[in-house]
Amino acid sequence: MSVELTAQRRADPYLDLEDYDPEADLMVLNVGPQHPSTHGVFRMKLYLDGEVIVKAVPYVGYLHRGVEKLCEKLTYTQVTPIVDKNDYVSPMMNEQAINMAFEDLLGVEVPRRARWLRTVLAELQRIASHLLWLGTFTLDLGGAIGGGSTLFLYCFRERELVLDIFEELTGCRFHYNTHTIGGNRHDITPGWAKMVHEAISVIEARTHEYEAMVTRNGIYADRTRGIGVIDAGLAMELGLTGPALRGSGVDHDLRRDAPYHAYDEVEVRVQTEAAGDCMARALVRIREMRESVRIVREMVDGVPEGPICGHRPIKLATQTKIKAGQAYACLESPRGELGTFVIAGGGSGTACPYRLKIRPPSLHALAAVPYIMPGHMVSDAVAILGSLDPILGEADR
Amino acid sequence: MSFLLHGLLYGAVVGSVLLTVTAWAVWFERKFSARMQSRLGPTIVGPVGLLQPIADALKLMQKETIFPDNADRFLFRAAPPFMVVFSLATAAVVPFGPDMIAADLDIGVLYILALAGLMLFPVWIGGWASNNKFALLAAMRGIAQGVSYELPLVLSALVPVVLAGSMSLSVIVSFQAEHGWFIVWPPGPGLIAFGIFFVASLAETNRIPFDIPEAESELVAGVTTEYTGMKFGFFYLAEYLHTLVSAAVAAALFFGGWHGPWVSGLHWFVLKTLVLFVSIFWIRWTLVRFRADQLMRLCWKWLVPISLVVLMAAAVAVQLGEGR
Amino acid sequence: MIHIDPASELGTLLRERFGAEDFPKDAAPLVSPERHVELARVLAEEHGYRVFLYVAASHWPVVAPNPKKEGDTGDPEHYEIAYALRRPGPNTDVAHWRVRVDVGHSVPSLVPLFAGADWQEREQYDLVGVVFEGHPDLRRLMMPEDWEGHPLRRDYAIDTACPPWR
Repeated sequence: MSVELTAQRRADPYLDLEDYDPEADLMVLNVGPQHPSTHGVFRMKLYLDGEVIVKAVPYVGYLHRGVEKLCEKLTYTQVTPIVDKNDYVSPMMNEQAINMAFEDLLGVEVPRRARWLRTVLAELQRIASHLLWLGTFTLDLGGAIGGGSTLFLYCFRERELVLDIFEELTGCRFHYNTHTIGGNRHDITPGWAKMVHEAISVIEARTHEYEAMVTRNGIYADRTRGIGVIDAGLAMELGLTGPALRGSGVDHDLRRDAPYHAYDEVEVRVQTEAAGDCMARALVRIREMRESVRIVREMVDGVPEGPICGHRPIKLATQTKIKAGQAYACLESPRGELGTFVIAGGGSGTACPYRLKIRPPSLHALAAVPYIMPGHMVSDAVAILGSLDPILGEADR
Repeated sequence: MSFLLHGLLYGAVVGSVLLTVTAWAVWFERKFSARMQSRLGPTIVGPVGLLQPIADALKLMQKETIFPDNADRFLFRAAPPFMVVFSLATAAVVPFGPDMIAADLDIGVLYILALAGLMLFPVWIGGWASNNKFALLAAMRGIAQGVSYELPLVLSALVPVVLAGSMSLSVIVSFQAEHGWFIVWPPGPGLIAFGIFFVASLAETNRIPFDIPEAESELVAGVTTEYTGMKFGFFYLAEYLHTLVSAAVAAALFFGGWHGPWVSGLHWFVLKTLVLFVSIFWIRWTLVRFRADQLMRLCWKWLVPISLVVLMAAAVAVQLGEGR
Repeated sequence: MIHIDPASELGTLLRERFGAEDFPKDAAPLVSPERHVELARVLAEEHGYRVFLYVAASHWPVVAPNPKKEGDTGDPEHYEIAYALRRPGPNTDVAHWRVRVDVGHSVPSLVPLFAGADWQEREQYDLVGVVFEGHPDLRRLMMPEDWEGHPLRRDYAIDTACPPWR
């Protein structure tokens, strides 16, 4: 017995279980906050009819740390290290999104060198994030003791190369605090570009292997093809952006359509797939990895000369004062459109933001769960969750 | 030697040797998988980590046994030892050498297949008695998978029986020693039957890609979710033991057991078993797992019809005079 | 800065059909709560703004009238809710608008139009306290179900004690 879905493949998230089948003996399986494949602390209550999911109810908020409230008491320069920990897998994106919004409010122009470097760092971060995604997705499909962990460790081996590059630049492997209002804090050294070239040639060779594995491994294809189909209309309504939206056939990428940093000086080839299933999203991400490799290779040698920061160096935390205004700045993170909406001024004076709202792409991805999971089996639930690439740090903040 | 003494002696020897080999098979798997994943594996305890199994056993033995609320007291405790006992019992009819066999039963193959069927019970009992939904789901999946894959296992194991004309494993091995290994002669049925037997054994021992009863990323730890300490150790040990014995049985049925060029004997048997064992690991650490219904589809739509056809082909080969 | 040009397509729509008068240079135009669902529908169906971006509610405490300024009536306690929709594709654009509503009154929900509004509105209800009328299941998202208070309000102290976790 399987749940009948409408022609548009959208389940009813508010399904009253008595309407489903009064005779069915539904089992409630709590895929709890502690589970090997919930990508962070995420809870899902699955109502199962045998192995088929009838209703899926997600619960978030286990990682809610009150970042938005904290930021109301922090000055504009103190916010950066805090939001680093939102999307803890791609910290560069968080920092850039925040600082873009503040630069917009202050009217500061970011020098070309900083914009160029930010682009390179963003693309490197995208490679690292997609590598992590691929590893954990295969881990979900195959198990930590088994085939999944082999690919997981290979991906992490490549990711270490990128993290070494970041450590060379900023001193931190993770959570860098390298962006500031007006530019970057750390500037590149002469040998850095060479290091990047070496790393990305290794990564490029491996992405061909990974794409072959995803498309040509029969079991992988069986587990991901036709699973978790999100049609384009539902994706847009939910606010899904990034690989999930592009995997459903919508040709939209902020890097090409609303260029920021130095994306107007480089060509970004947007990857889309029409199928909308897990396989489509996986292919979009792997191809995006290759695209990022190409962009980095093109850009890393030509970093233009100039200052690395357009705003005076921050000596006192309270030196940056923004009187009033509302701004929204967004960028294309590996998960979708990561945006920052800031209201400045108001009751908190000029040194701290009045209201900081971070628009997390993962929360919208998780909101898709009640719509697409019913009708699939328990094994598919983990595959779907993995393919949406949720990071609970940014979903819950 | 009296029957009882023979049995006791062989039982003690085979049992202890197998348990020791299994413990070091765990070490070997960890090293092998580590090298496959570009890391090192156990290196600290003993040279090259060779004392790791001892460390693991000591660790498991001193862990606290947590008994879940509302779990069935007797069944929860009974499941792990039964698994080990059944796995060890399968080794009783395996011919390790020309005259080295613990119990030379006439119905050796039937005994092995019966025990393979019995092995489903501890899995099921353990999962149900844990009073845990994940374990219950895993137990149900385990039963479904185990019962389904018994058919191709039985049908493909019958091919050597038909070709050799006897169910006794020692007779099958001597037949292969005389006429040629079943994997290559008669050309066709033996090879396909071995393929199906191998796949069905992977499914019976719950190895990836058929490890849905223990699907670690979906069902936490499957049947063993609520087991701690040495009870978990028994399940773990039993799984490896079962795999090792399945490899040994496959070597005996299809690869000619202890027979080999130059000097036949125990060493050839050990070599063949190890080669099969290593290939089981290799597959485990490479592939992702099937979904439950895809697994069933593979079994019922592909393996069962093919094994039926192969069995009939073997029977035809025998009738045409090539078998006997 | 968020600034909608009154002469642009979006600005014209807001001015003529939805009565937006003020187009500040650093904020989105205000639209009345009764009409903003219609605005969202028109934007999504007629102009292609189909990607739901965000709902951001902020709490503005009461401002007493300043006796020194003439004609200053102060400001009652209110919520200001900012919405944004995006038109995807090569000519991408974001439509921003704000809705202002006094505390104690509710705002019509966008859930019938956008499935993504569901969780976003729940989050704003949970953290700020805005009640969305017409929402099928308005309950807390981030905080535990039995939490009292709305943390992102300005009068909620950041060091409010919380009960020990069960």
